[in-house]
Amino acid sequence: MARKSFMYSVLEAVQYEMRQDKNMIWIFELTPPVASTPGKPVINLEKEFGRKRVVNTGIDENWMAGCVLGAGLAGSKAVTYIPYQGNCMCFQMLQNHAGKLRSMTGGDAEMPVVFILEMTGQTPGFAGQHSDYEIDTYYAHIPGLKTVIPSTPTDAKGMMVSAIRDPNPVAFLWADGLRSMIEDVPDEQYMTPLDKAAVRTEGTDITIVGSGGGMPEVLKATEQLQKAGMKVETIDLRSLKPMDTETLVTSVRKTKRLLTVDQSYYTLCPGAEVIARVAENVDGARYKRVAFPDAPPPAAPEMFLWMRPNATHIVDAAKKLVG
Amino acid sequence: MSETEAIERETCDDNQASSVARRTFLKGLAGAGAAISLSSKVAWANGEIGFWAKDLTNEQLINMYTTIQRIRWYERTCVDKMLTEPGYRGYNHFYVGQEAVAAGVSAALRNVGGIMEADLVYSTHRPSGHAIAKGVDVRKMAAEYEFKATGLNKGYGGEMHIADKSVGFMGADGMIGPGYVIATGSAFAIRARGSKQVVVNYGGDGTYATPHFHSALNNAALLKLPFVYVLENNLYHQYAHYSYSCPMKDIASAAKTYGIPGVVVDGQDVFQVYNAAKEAVERARAGEGATLIEAKTYRYYNHWGAPGAKPDELGAFGYDPLAITSFRPEREVRAWMARDPVDISRSALISWKVLDRAKASAIEAAAKKEMVEAFAWADKQPFAKPEDGLKNVFVEGTVPARQFG
Repeated sequence: MARKSFMYSVLEAVQYEMRQDKNMIWIFELTPPVASTPGKPVINLEKEFGRKRVVNTGIDENWMAGCVLGAGLAGSKAVTYIPYQGNCMCFQMLQNHAGKLRSMTGGDAEMPVVFILEMTGQTPGFAGQHSDYEIDTYYAHIPGLKTVIPSTPTDAKGMMVSAIRDPNPVAFLWADGLRSMIEDVPDEQYMTPLDKAAVRTEGTDITIVGSGGGMPEVLKATEQLQKAGMKVETIDLRSLKPMDTETLVTSVRKTKRLLTVDQSYYTLCPGAEVIARVAENVDGARYKRVAFPDAPPPAAPEMFLWMRPNATHIVDAAKKLVG
Repeated sequence: MSETEAIERETCDDNQASSVARRTFLKGLAGAGAAISLSSKVAWANGEIGFWAKDLTNEQLINMYTTIQRIRWYERTCVDKMLTEPGYRGYNHFYVGQEAVAAGVSAALRNVGGIMEADLVYSTHRPSGHAIAKGVDVRKMAAEYEFKATGLNKGYGGEMHIADKSVGFMGADGMIGPGYVIATGSAFAIRARGSKQVVVNYGGDGTYATPHFHSALNNAALLKLPFVYVLENNLYHQYAHYSYSCPMKDIASAAKTYGIPGVVVDGQDVFQVYNAAKEAVERARAGEGATLIEAKTYRYYNHWGAPGAKPDELGAFGYDPLAITSFRPEREVRAWMARDPVDISRSALISWKVLDRAKASAIEAAAKKEMVEAFAWADKQPFAKPEDGLKNVFVEGTVPARQFG
């Protein structure tokens, strides 16, 4: 056990798998697979495994995604880290190929590949292209592509191990706003399921559901509400596809109130799917959605920070729902 | 072997050791810009030497030097603010070192008349030089860098998205890829409507690797679009040397594939850039199609912001926490700084007796003063109103707030 960042935790998982499997490859552009943490060895995949297996490509996300998909089809495990909102450049590779090939080949094609898709993080000032968390639903909508979104370094490591060992293609959404999060993460290799939500706090008054980069504000709001006497059940989705309907339904059957929180745009945000699944299975519940407005994030911090869902927004919405 | 072929062989040989190639290359650039693919209209055999700066008036020459100084001091003022004012909110991908490229290209363009008359420029994430050379208002630009309500984009864009279509500056772009394809779309519209404008797309060495590079040049060539791709090869895309992304030393040799002229030019020398740009722009305006210009250049700062820089000193050396893949050696930075675009243009104009030392210094002082004042004006501008974030999504109206549940 040691204090580890998101990047260190994930690279530790990958390093272990690459040591076991000499065929496994890693493709990156611009973001080197390098991480360090106090008291632990520096991880540098490029240095350790060499440029035959670990390649820094040009700026060509289309090739990055196509390369790991082709590697997977040919029988090698493969991971690519696509940074800076570049992942939609290669959307077709995931949507029309990775997601459909298993079905189109009658179950023959195996794709033990992981697409790490960086969501740029909501940094004020970067504007539009570099400061949103919009891509979650895009990928969750694709049949045949597992889509996960860890919100802690511990989950990120365990889910990366599971994703690499899974014979299906996995979109591993990387909420870059969490890059500075550091926590104790086990050193050994472990697997975290790719289809289970995590109940972060248990309660009977309200269910609050969030995911990825939105979780720190959700947990902050939960704490404030608990201090005010509200019994809050907070759920971290962790996986958008498959979505853990059972955990959601079980919770709302108990609380009868559901608040979803998303940092992505309101229309068709993950919360919309959560509410739909619960509404199909639970009678007499009340619902509310907090999300980013359907507007590109403006650069000016005054506008952007006002629009971004935060703990205060969540607390107020929860009180309206419970009150 | 024709003259053109000989030049082509000399400059396209990628098998030489890199240091030798670099020396040969720089020597070659002492003369005119080296044409390395199909030659354009310039007929060497007819005694035309391609040194178009010879025809410029003193005023035009001084304007080029002034533009270089204005870009230099806009950026140096910005660097110093980033380093010394903790409350300064702006950031930049600094262009310092590359000023001669934007100054030389824009000197060959029509910079007034809006989108129906001006030549159009598509810029990158490193836009301030392109914008200033095109005639964008520097006060509004500085205000946009600080996300002010009166900034060029009213605070919605920041540095990576500055745009001003009134001077044909179509905008910066934070992504690598789509921009150049979009630029060819503007060129297509211009050809279709016959408006005699030219579209210039700026891109870095990193753009070569993208599929969009092929798409832009292939279609520009197939359709004979009025399109000039100015590829500023500053050796590094972000933190990686371009040897990671391009199998050729001269990216301009890619032009051969499309049957369009590909020109390598010394990006530190504004007159060489102008020579190449003027030919390419005239060719495009005459309906003869696209050109790829590769300007060999260098940035004195790291990819983003001012790590490794010191206030009131030119350049950033050694330190960049993000430079893991390719660390820029200080000697490389200093070697390029020895061929500074400010010094090269100033010495040329003094030796041509267009300027004397006092006048050259006065232009520099005026540029510095203008930029200090522009940033001071920007500091005083009002902040954006929070609820305006719901505007400008569509032409009409606002979108609903959703963050309150």
